[in-house]
Amino acid sequence: MKIVRKVKVKNSLGLHTRPAAAIVKLLQPRKSSVFFTYKNETINARSIMSILMLAAKKNASIIVTVEGEDAEATLHHLENAFEQEFGEK
Amino acid sequence: MYLVQHLYEQHGKYLGLDLLAGKSGLTRRINKAEVHRPGLSLAGYLKGFATGRILVIGKQEIEFLKEELDEKTRTERLQSILTHTTPAVIVARGIRPPKELTALCEKNRIPLFRASSTATNLCSRITFLLLEEFCPSVTLHGTLVEVFGVGVLIQGESSVGKSEAALGLIERGHRLISDDVVRVKKKEGAYLVGSGPELTRHLMEIRGIGIINVAHLYGAVCVRPDKGIDIVVKLEEWDDQHFYDRVGLDEKFIDILGESVPYHVLPVKPGRDVVLLLETIALNHRLKDMGYNSAKEFNAKLLEAIARRQKKRMTRENRA
Repeated sequence: MKIVRKVKVKNSLGLHTRPAAAIVKLLQPRKSSVFFTYKNETINARSIMSILMLAAKKNASIIVTVEGEDAEATLHHLENAFEQEFGEK
Repeated sequence: MYLVQHLYEQHGKYLGLDLLAGKSGLTRRINKAEVHRPGLSLAGYLKGFATGRILVIGKQEIEFLKEELDEKTRTERLQSILTHTTPAVIVARGIRPPKELTALCEKNRIPLFRASSTATNLCSRITFLLLEEFCPSVTLHGTLVEVFGVGVLIQGESSVGKSEAALGLIERGHRLISDDVVRVKKKEGAYLVGSGPELTRHLMEIRGIGIINVAHLYGAVCVRPDKGIDIVVKLEEWDDQHFYDRVGLDEKFIDILGESVPYHVLPVKPGRDVVLLLETIALNHRLKDMGYNSAKEFNAKLLEAIARRQKKRMTRENRA
């Protein structure tokens, strides 16, 4: 299954090192492949360096592509993490 | 999208550009990696005139405009070459452009620059810069290292050990170009060059250690900004069911931006020294580049030996 959805960065510092680590940690047990697209750049969301390279600021909207058997659950967790501002609220 | 503004900001100093008029047109788009000297068109011949290119006006054009044309024709001719897709106009040799040109550029909101170098020089420099900017590119997941002068792109699933292999290579005196994210550009329509994104350049993420700066840890000798991609090696977990290449007679290739690059699949398991294997692949590639293919050479020798034996046997049989 493949799902494509837009997610907004809500925490004030943007996607810095800690949120990137949180995303990678969250994805580790998941089976689906996850890609982020931001400013014409598509990267593998399992790689910290790739997420950091995006340097996405607050309110940036990232296109998330999840593909795999647990796509729905993975996206749900991911959206939750963005919504919760990666615990920085 | 590449704007005149980008060209001006990034390369204005190098080209010696001086903005004279039409500042509001800096947001015009440059769509073609071409520049044009409008000589013939200024003489009134407009058939086949390609719009949308940066116009470079040289000494000869200026002299023609000033000396051969009256004010009215001058304005008409200039207007005819300044279309709504013209990105910019550059006057060479630091010549002051005729006032009609300045006025038209201001009116049509086309940036007008003056540059100190000659028109030919400008044409070649701008074409080169634009070609560089417009070449096709792609961002790949992988680690690019230079091993014995060979650009090796290490690919594979997350956590298969790409970064660790790269770190091992760096420790042995090879160089890191980029870890995890590699921007590949196809230059001159023929060869591929990979580089790292500005922000994460020379940084690596090693599980259990964190983010490290390789340039600071190992010194400037172990990094370089970009490198041509000569081979792609895919690391993967050892699979007993899979038959791995045992002789190396058949070469595999992978497609990157329409270019085929030699491709190796390298299975990883405890006891296999990935760093040493990567070094060997790189060396073997160099040898092949020099015209020596170990597997083919051996096979040729073997065939020769078999043929010799067969011949011997036949002569023996003939005698008997």
